[in-house]
Amino acid sequence: MSARIAILFAWACAIGVVVFLLSPLLVIAAASFSPTPVFDLPVGGASLRWYARISALDGFWPALSLSLQLALLSTASSLALGTLAAIALARGRLRGARTIATALVSPLMMPGLVLGIALLQYFRAIGFNATWSALLVAHVVVTLPYVARTMIAGMARFDFTLMEAARTLGCTFAQAIRRVMIPTLAPSFLIAGLFSFLASFDNYPVSIFLTDVRTKTLPIKMLQYIDEAPDPTLAALSTLILIATVVLLLASDRLVGLHRMAGTGD
Amino acid sequence: MSPPDAPHLVVRQVSKRFGAAHVLDRVDLTIAHGELVTLLGPSGCGKTTLLRMIAGLESPDFGAIELAGRDITRVPPHRRNVGFVFQSYALFPHLTVYGNVAFGLKSRGRTRGDIDAAVKRALSLVHLEHLGARRIAALSGGQQQRVALARAIAVEPEVLLFDEALSALDRKLREEMQVELRLLLREIGATAIFVTHDQDEALTMSDRVAVMFAGRIEQVAEPRVVYARPASLFTLGFVGLSTRIPGTVAASGEGRVEVDTAIGRLSAIGNFIVGAPVILAVRPEHLRPAAAPSGNCASGRVRSIVFHGANSLIEIEAVAETTLLAQTANDASAHLKVGDATRLCWPVAETFAFPDPGAGA
Amino acid sequence: MTVAAAPAPPRGSSVDREQSMALAFLAPSLLFLLLAFVTPLVLLLGVSVSGRSGLSLESYAKLLGTGYYLNVIWNSLRLALLTTILALAIAYPAAFALARARGMVRTALLSCLFLPLAASVIVKAFAWTILLRSDGIVNRILIALHVIDAPIRMIFTETALVVGSVNIFLPFMVLPIYAVVTQLDRRLMEAAATLGAPPVAAFLKIVVPLTMPGVIAGVALVFSLAVSAYVVPTLLIGELYPTLASTIAKAYLLARDPQFGAAAGVVLLIIAIIVVTLSARLAGRENDR
Repeated sequence: MSARIAILFAWACAIGVVVFLLSPLLVIAAASFSPTPVFDLPVGGASLRWYARISALDGFWPALSLSLQLALLSTASSLALGTLAAIALARGRLRGARTIATALVSPLMMPGLVLGIALLQYFRAIGFNATWSALLVAHVVVTLPYVARTMIAGMARFDFTLMEAARTLGCTFAQAIRRVMIPTLAPSFLIAGLFSFLASFDNYPVSIFLTDVRTKTLPIKMLQYIDEAPDPTLAALSTLILIATVVLLLASDRLVGLHRMAGTGD
Repeated sequence: MSPPDAPHLVVRQVSKRFGAAHVLDRVDLTIAHGELVTLLGPSGCGKTTLLRMIAGLESPDFGAIELAGRDITRVPPHRRNVGFVFQSYALFPHLTVYGNVAFGLKSRGRTRGDIDAAVKRALSLVHLEHLGARRIAALSGGQQQRVALARAIAVEPEVLLFDEALSALDRKLREEMQVELRLLLREIGATAIFVTHDQDEALTMSDRVAVMFAGRIEQVAEPRVVYARPASLFTLGFVGLSTRIPGTVAASGEGRVEVDTAIGRLSAIGNFIVGAPVILAVRPEHLRPAAAPSGNCASGRVRSIVFHGANSLIEIEAVAETTLLAQTANDASAHLKVGDATRLCWPVAETFAFPDPGAGA
Repeated sequence: MTVAAAPAPPRGSSVDREQSMALAFLAPSLLFLLLAFVTPLVLLLGVSVSGRSGLSLESYAKLLGTGYYLNVIWNSLRLALLTTILALAIAYPAAFALARARGMVRTALLSCLFLPLAASVIVKAFAWTILLRSDGIVNRILIALHVIDAPIRMIFTETALVVGSVNIFLPFMVLPIYAVVTQLDRRLMEAAATLGAPPVAAFLKIVVPLTMPGVIAGVALVFSLAVSAYVVPTLLIGELYPTLASTIAKAYLLARDPQFGAAAGVVLLIIAIIVVTLSARLAGRENDR
């Protein structure tokens, strides 16, 4: 009897969590159809004009392009660096492998803000003024721990005799990685890539200190929009991003399984 | 390519240390074309290490390995043209049966048509022609084993290496595969090396058996010879059953020794000085109940009889806690029961003397 | 022609070779983090103690000595504590329900957890300002349900801040606990029942301790995220609730006082390190049990 009450209570909490988490998203989606230029819920009719205005936002396309470039490049770099490190930790028989693994994942727990100002000072001190490159370096620091965490866990479960088999069948080590490891570990790569991409695309605490007037990532641009003139265009933009994420999540579920991402890949 | 009567594979003085222990200690082995050789021994004897060295997955500290006249000691595995069948099969989970078998052929850059023909041939050799499109996860253990075999064969390697490849199968399947595998290898004229700890498998499948212990090869010979004429106490103990009786040499000459044991004076084949501590050994199938004494004899009481279908294993307790092990056919003349007193005799020519390792050389 | 019988010259044992290959694979990542993560943080530490005339601790003195800034630090800690406790209270039972779900329901629920992570904090926080305004939804619902008569001021209050903060960081509490709960063996509760334990006791004595690693991970993550939160307090409460994060931002972007900003950053960093080390220690102890 008490078990049933407990289960009901648990489900009530779960539903509460869902409603709580989804409400701001629904508000955003609703606000995007507002007929008036006020960022508020649509009263008296709906309008799609804010969606049309997205591309007209000042500096929108460069910001989007920059965010996409940074996300893709930092994810690619982190995947390369993180996979190599994971292979080393899984096979290298190194003493202190666990400490090294912790060290690789540690930037996750550091406040992004602190990392931002630290990098700002550092780049200035060494005279590294190329904003785009500085942002890239910062984003690799941000994304590498996500990738390392997922790949270390995935690599620990990888059967390395598959690599030996590939080598006896005519593959060099690099070819074996391409033809056997990557396809077999595809779920881990996908999860790592997804987390890394989102971490970079949505990042603001590190980016806010490294962007300048001409080079802004999308989240920083959105902060600027909110400061200056918050109209429903912002809501329309966010809604589009949400829809894109839904598609991404459905694809991930089909390919890998969301429960896998939440369980061990996370 | 070396001429057919030259050795196909030569292992020369190969050694490897792991810390202070010798994993392999100056191992020499020569294998001819088309020969099926088994490396037999307990865990840790170095047999798997040696096999992996031939494949290039590990490298020796000292020594050389030659394949078809070519020194391959430093050649990486992907250029050695050896086929390797792993204990866990190591089939690629993301490829179908066809994809797995074709893998090595793709590495060698063969054309689509060539690959297709080779895969079909390999699959038909292992009787899996119709499973090309199947996913690995949907295969049974026996089927996976065959796919692993087909994959190794498809590239027509110089030599095939099997690392305990049958140990994951259940007993009946295993015995069937042993026979099938031997026929298949003969059919394609392959040179093959097996690693196993199962002496029955070694005796069934091989042209020659190399018994290994502590990084050294104790004996390399045909199965018949390894069984009936073991070169060392270890080989005697590891392959087959035996009766072992310790004693001291009382007289010796012309390849024979007279030995004093707890059950009396026995004669054996061997060369020792008088007074040397030895262990006499004889295989159980040679002990027979005898009316008239001939060769070596001993009396005792039957302690246990273990039924094995075609024959039985009988333990006889003789004088001074010496145990005799006899194997008799279960035909109508078998009358012994537990507790019976009996007298057994066996030929001197099948009695061997080995140095006694435990008697402080 | 057979090769001469002389043995090949000795090689390094392959164990050393495997290890040096492993180090070669690790080197890029470790080197990168050393140059782009460790060094900047060390530099930050250096900046925090370098005044106009050499080594000086004046920033720390201001930060840790003034009532105002001590209050700021306490604000950040308080926000983190409240957020963590509330998030844990809701997330814990929810994780259990989530773990029992299967199929479409489970996918849908998990999507609800992942989806907010993709929406920018900035937009979510702004959405909360809409929700909590005097004429916002929450007020309208409360009035419709006759809980209150007139709209209450929710925006720019600590309550709004905590609610918004919990909203942003809740998924980070649910997911680690969920990960651990899914790995629990159902039969443990059954075993406890056969041994005569009543369900509540069995739950408290067996299930709860086993979920501790997930709880610790979630608590550590949410706490360290909340203590350094910037956008959420800025948008939901602004100047009324200064935090360490806003102090850092102000010092760098407005006041141009890098030493002070660095000192505040170091304090925040130390708090995060304490949280991580404590949680690692606690988790280690749980795993040893």
